[in-house]
Amino acid sequence: MHYSRAHIWFVWPAIILMIVILILPIFLAGGISFTNYNLGNSSFEWVGMENYEKMFSRKTYTKMIIATATYVLIVVPASVIIGLAAAVMLNSLRFGADIYKTIFFLPVMATLLAMAIAWEFTLHPTLGIINSFLADGCGGIREFILGFHWLPWVGAEDSWYSVACANNMDFPYWLKDKKTAIWTICFIGIWQAFGFNMVLYLAGLTSIPRELYHAAEMDGAHSTWEQFKLVTWPMLGPTTLFVVTITTIRSFQVFDTIEILTKGGPSKTTYVMMYAIFEKAIMQNITSIGAAITVVFIVFIILLTFFQRYVIEKRVHY
Amino acid sequence: MLARHYIGESWKHGLLIIGALIVLIPFYMMVSMSLKSQQEIQSISGGLVGAQEIQTFPVCTKHGYTEEVCTMRPYKYNFWFAFKKAPIPRYLMNGLIVTVSIFLIQVLIALPCSYALAKLRFKGREFVFSMVLFCLLIPVHAIALPLYVMLAKAGLVDTYAALIIPWTISVFGIFLMRQFFMTVPDELIDAARMDGMGEYSIVWKVMLPVAIPALLAFAIFSVVAHWNDYFWPRIVITGNRDLFTPPLGIREFRGGIDSDEFGPMMASIVTVTVPLIVAFIIAQKRFVEGITMTGMK
Repeated sequence: MHYSRAHIWFVWPAIILMIVILILPIFLAGGISFTNYNLGNSSFEWVGMENYEKMFSRKTYTKMIIATATYVLIVVPASVIIGLAAAVMLNSLRFGADIYKTIFFLPVMATLLAMAIAWEFTLHPTLGIINSFLADGCGGIREFILGFHWLPWVGAEDSWYSVACANNMDFPYWLKDKKTAIWTICFIGIWQAFGFNMVLYLAGLTSIPRELYHAAEMDGAHSTWEQFKLVTWPMLGPTTLFVVTITTIRSFQVFDTIEILTKGGPSKTTYVMMYAIFEKAIMQNITSIGAAITVVFIVFIILLTFFQRYVIEKRVHY
Repeated sequence: MLARHYIGESWKHGLLIIGALIVLIPFYMMVSMSLKSQQEIQSISGGLVGAQEIQTFPVCTKHGYTEEVCTMRPYKYNFWFAFKKAPIPRYLMNGLIVTVSIFLIQVLIALPCSYALAKLRFKGREFVFSMVLFCLLIPVHAIALPLYVMLAKAGLVDTYAALIIPWTISVFGIFLMRQFFMTVPDELIDAARMDGMGEYSIVWKVMLPVAIPALLAFAIFSVVAHWNDYFWPRIVITGNRDLFTPPLGIREFRGGIDSDEFGPMMASIVTVTVPLIVAFIIAQKRFVEGITMTGMK
C-alpha cells in the first residue's frame, strides 16, 4: 500500500459518473412519479400517489404484471434447465461437443433484433417454414409425434394437429393469436438465453473434482442419475444461483422481441414492463406514468438481487 | 459394456442434433430469404438457395433503374438493392464509432479507479467500493427513462453523445479490473516506483499491459452488448438517419410483412449480423470467455 494524492484523480471521475448516470436517475424517476410532469411541458404539479394508484387499479397494468411474470416464470426455469441438460450432455460426449456448443451459443451472440425479424418470418402463417412443415406432415409421422398420438389418452382424431389438418390447415397464428402469442415470445426468449446458461454450467462442471464421483460410486451411487443428484447438482449450487439471477434480470428486461413481433398485443397479452415504459413514456409522452413503472421495476430488480446475495447465498455455498 | 456406451452416446447425439436444428431454424430462414427471389419466398419453394434464375426485378425498375441494370440473379440483386436502398455502410460505421468510443471511455475511467481500489490506500476507499457494489445492481436499461429525460433537458437527443454517455461508466468493468489487480503482486508496483515512475505512468505503462487478457475479455463483452443493443438507441435517436446504429437500420428497413420485397430486407439483416457472427466463429473461445465472464466471482 502506498500513500499518494494521485488516487483523487483516479477515483473521482468514476464517482461522479456513478452518481450522475446511475444513482441520480433513480431519484429523478422517483420524483417524477409523484408529479404529472410530461417531457416538453414547462410546469408540473405534485399529484402524490396518483400515478401508482392508476398503476395498481387499471386493467392494463394488471395485464402488464401478468405478462411480465409469465415471461419471467417460464423463461427462467426453462432456459436454466435446458442449459444445464445441454451442459451435462456435452460434458459427457466423446466427440462433437464443440460443434454443438458453437451452435447453441449463436443466438446469444447474434443481434436479437435481427433474429426477431427472422423468427417473424419463420412463424408467419403463410410464408413461414414452421406452418408449411406442419401442413406437409398431415396424415404422416409428424402428425403422430407432434400431435401426441403416442400418448394413450390422446385420440388420433381430436389432437390439436388432426383438428388443424381437418380444418383446411388451420395451424396456430403463433404471434397474432392471444392464446399463443406470449408462449411464442417465451419460446424465443428460451431459444436466445439457454446457450448462455449452458456455457456457465460447462465452466461450473469443469471445476468439480473427479474424485467426488469416485467417492460417490464407492458409496453406492452407480447410476448416472444418482451421481448427478449426489455430486453434480449440489456442486453446481453457486453456478445455478448466478445463472438464475442473471437470467431473471435479463428476462425482466425483454423488449426487442416484443417491439418487433407483437407490440404488446394481442389484447395486451405480451405487454411486458419494458415495453410499457417505452410505450407510455416515449411513444405517448406520458413521462410520469413511465416513471412510476420505472420505480416499480427498479424495486423489483434490487429486491431480487438482494434476496439472491444475502438470503440464498448463505445456503448454497458448501 | 462398450456397446452400451455407444448406444448412450448416440441417444445424446440424437437429442443434441434435434436441438441444434431447432436453434438453427431462424438462421436458415434468414440466409435463405436473403438469397431467394420474392416468388420463391412467397411460395416457400427452392430450398436454401432457390433456383437463382436470371430475371428482371419489377421493384428495381420502379425505382427508376433501367431494365438492363435490374436484370441479374436473385442473390446478387438482394444484396445490391439492400445497399442501394439504405446507407448500410453508414450504419455499420456508426455501430463501430459508438461501440469503440464506449469501450475506450469505459477503460479510461475504470482502469485508474480499479487500480486505486486495489492497490492504493486512501480515506473512503471502502465506501467507494461499496458504492461500486451497489451500482452493480442497477441495469442501465431499467433507468433509461430518467436518463432520457436528463439528456433531453441537456438538448442531447439525436447525437452521438446520447448514444455513448450512459455507458461511459461500467461499474462491472471497475469491479472486474479491481479483482484482477488484486492478484497482481505489490512487488511489481514497488519496483516501478523505485524506478521513479509516478502513479500515472504506473497505471498506463505497468498495469495496462498486465491487464490485457482481462481487458480483451471485457472488450468483447462490451462491444457485443452495445453492437446488439436496440432499446437505448431506439429511445434517444428519434429520426436522424445519419446516427442510426445497425439495429436501428434493420428496424427501418423492415417494412415488416407489408414491405414490398423480403429478399433485400433480409440481405441487409444478414449484412449487419454477419460481422459479429464471423468474428465469434473465428475467436470462439475468447468470445465465450468474454461474454460469460460475468460469471467470474
